[in-house]
Amino acid sequence: MISDIVAQYTTPEASLGFGSEALPSQRGFLSGDVAHQFNSLAFDLPRTQDPVDFLHTYTDVKSAEDNLIKLAHGTTTLAFKYASGVVVATDSRATQGSVISSQSVKKVIEINPYLLGTMAGGAADCAFWERELGRRCRLYELRNKERISVAAASKLLANMVYSYKGMGLSMGTMISGWDKTGPNLFYVDNDGLRLKGDLFSVGSGATYAYGVLDSGYNHELSKADAIELGKRSIYHATHRDAYSGGSVRVFHINESGWEFISLTDVDDLHWEYTDQARAP
Amino acid sequence: MECLLGLVGKDFVITVTDTSAIRSITVLKHNEDKTRVLSPHTLISFSGEAGDTINFSEYLQKNIQLYGIRNNIELTPAAAAHFVRRELAEALRSRNAYQANLLLSGYDKKKGPSLYWIDHLAALVQRPFAAHGYCGYYCTSMFDRYYRPNMDLEEAKDLIRKCLQELHHRFIINLPRFSVKVVDKDGIREIEL
Amino acid sequence: MDMLATNPAVHPTSTAKQAAFSPYADHGGTNLAIAGADYCILASDTRQSSGYNINTRFAPKTFKLSDKSVLATAGCQPDCNMVVTRVKHSMKGYKYTHNKEMSTPAIAQMLSIMLYQKRFFPYYDFNILGGLDEEGKGCVFCYDAVGSYERVPCNAYGSASALIQPFLDNQVRNKNQQGKEKVTEFDPVARLSIDEAMRIVKDAFTSATERDIYTGDFLQIFIVTSAGVEEQLHPLKRD
Repeated sequence: MISDIVAQYTTPEASLGFGSEALPSQRGFLSGDVAHQFNSLAFDLPRTQDPVDFLHTYTDVKSAEDNLIKLAHGTTTLAFKYASGVVVATDSRATQGSVISSQSVKKVIEINPYLLGTMAGGAADCAFWERELGRRCRLYELRNKERISVAAASKLLANMVYSYKGMGLSMGTMISGWDKTGPNLFYVDNDGLRLKGDLFSVGSGATYAYGVLDSGYNHELSKADAIELGKRSIYHATHRDAYSGGSVRVFHINESGWEFISLTDVDDLHWEYTDQARAP
Repeated sequence: MECLLGLVGKDFVITVTDTSAIRSITVLKHNEDKTRVLSPHTLISFSGEAGDTINFSEYLQKNIQLYGIRNNIELTPAAAAHFVRRELAEALRSRNAYQANLLLSGYDKKKGPSLYWIDHLAALVQRPFAAHGYCGYYCTSMFDRYYRPNMDLEEAKDLIRKCLQELHHRFIINLPRFSVKVVDKDGIREIEL
Repeated sequence: MDMLATNPAVHPTSTAKQAAFSPYADHGGTNLAIAGADYCILASDTRQSSGYNINTRFAPKTFKLSDKSVLATAGCQPDCNMVVTRVKHSMKGYKYTHNKEMSTPAIAQMLSIMLYQKRFFPYYDFNILGGLDEEGKGCVFCYDAVGSYERVPCNAYGSASALIQPFLDNQVRNKNQQGKEKVTEFDPVARLSIDEAMRIVKDAFTSATERDIYTGDFLQIFIVTSAGVEEQLHPLKRD
C-alpha cells in the first residue's frame, strides 16, 4: 500500500536529467493531477549550438555588470561540529550585482527535523535542490522505515548536482545533522565535490569567517560559547565582506534534531561587540 | 597543486598522496584520503577536477568489486589498469569526460608488484616510479638519480622522505601532510614514514 | 574562378554568418507590493518601452489570478506573458482536479518550480506574487528569474526598484527608525492601515515617475481583501 504511494512520487530513472524536448506544461495536464508536470526533473534548454555558453551570456555566474538576468548571490555561511553537537550560522544578505536584493534571506534550509542545509552561491539552485533532497529523504524513510544518514543524504545531493556538472549550477552547501553515528557534517558543491569534515565555511566572506572561527575553535567548547563563536565569526565576515550582511542566523543540532537559536541584526551585534571591547 | 607519487620496490609498491582538499585559495580539509581500494591487492590514487576524481574512482571501485563477487576471482592489477584505461577513454569520447589523473598500484601473486600511470587523456604506462602534478617536476629527477630496482622498504621510505623534504624546501604550495600507503602480498596498509 | 562564382560557400561576400541567439529584451516598468494584516496591495505602472521608445502607454503587466491572489511581472513582456499563462493554466487544472482554488502560498511554491524548470534557459521575468494566505493575512512573495523566492512585507521590482525599495524599507519595514517596531520575517506584514499603505504606494510611483524614464503613464492598483480584488487606475505623468 505504502509502496504504491511511494512509487507514485518516485522519478523513473529514465526520465532523470535534462534533454526532454517537451515543454513541462505539455505533459501531465490531461492525465489528471497538474502536480504531475513537476514530477520529473526535466529542464528546458535553449536550442543553440552551446546551451551552456548561452546561459553564461545572459546570466551572471561571476556577477559581470552588463548581464541581463542577475541571479541572487553572495554569502557567508559556516558550520562546525564540537563536543555536544553542530553549530550552523549564516548571514542573510542577497545581492544581484551591486544591488542588495534582500537583507532577510533564510540561508539555512530545513530539509527535515534532523537535517539542515546551508545556502551559498545561487539562491534558487540551493533552494530547489535541497527541497528535492528533502523529498528524496522522505521517500527513503518511507521505503526503509528508518531515517536516512547524513552521509547518504549528502551523497544524494552531490550525485544530483554532479549530473549537471558544467551546466552552470552554482551551489556551495553544508549538509549537517544527527544520525545513528552522532553529529555529522558534509560539504557539497556544484562540482560534485563532497567532503566529510569538522569545520567548514563557504561563500565570499568565508576567509574572514575562517580566521575568527579557527582561532577560537576548540572541540570541548560549551554550547553557549560555540553558538557565540559562530555568531561572532559571521559578524566579522559581514564587517569585511561587502557581499555579506543583514542579520546573523544561528541554528544548533543535537541528538533530538535541529533547533533555531537566534536571528540578530549585525548592526546590533556591532555595537554590542564595540561596547565589549571598550569595557575596562 | 595536488601531489601523487608512486614507486615499485622489491616486493611492494609504495604510494604517496597529499591530503589537502583545496577550493580556490582555501584549504577546506587537511585529512582527505585521495585513494580508493579497488581490490585487496589493488589501490588507486587520484588527482584532478573536484567531483570527477571521487566519482570516477568510486565507480571503478564498485565495478571491480562487483567483478570479484560475480566471478569469485580478483582482477589482476594489469587487468584492472586496462579496465580503468578503457573506462576513462570511453568517457573521454562522451559528453561527460572525467578529468582525473590516476596511479594504480597493485601486487600480483604471480608477477609481483606493479605501478601504472594513467593521465586524464587515458594514456596508460607501466612504470617503476611515477608522479602526477607539480611534484613531478621535483621528484622525477630524484627518482632518476636515486631509484634502483629491488629496493627494500626502508630504502624506498628513505627515498620518499628525500622527495617530501625537497617539496617542503622548494615547492611554493604548502602541503603539510601526506598519506603513504604500501601494497604488497599482505594487502594494502598505511604506514608512517 | 568558375567555382568561386558559383559556389556560394566559397564566395568571399556570402560566407555563412550565424546570428547570435538573443531572445531577451527589457521592456521596463515597475511593480510594488505591500502586505498588511488583512490586505495586500499590488501596484504597477503601465508604460512599456524599448530603449528610448515608448511602445505603448497602457500595457498592464499585473494580473488577477483568483479572488485571493495577484501576480505582478516585470522584465521581458513575452516571458512575463508566458509565465502568467502557465500559472493560470495550472491553477485551472488544480481547481478541476481538487475542486478548490489554489492558496497563494501554494501558487508561490508552484511558480518557484516553474521558473526553475527554465534554469538553463531562464524567463527574463521578475515576479511578485501577492494576496491573502490561508489565514487571511496579507502576503507578498518576491522571486528572482530562476525561482528563488522569499515571503516579505513589501517589495519593489523593475526599472525603478532601486528608487522605491529603500523608501519602502524605511516606511513599511521601519528600517533604521528609532523607537518604531521593526517588521521582521517572523510576522512579515506591514503595521499600516490600508489608507496609509495606499498613500505610500501612490507617493512611491509619482516620485519614481519623476526620476525613472521607464516608469509612467498610468498606475494600476490591485487591493486584495477578504471581499475580493479591487482594481483601480490612476494617471501618472506621461512625459
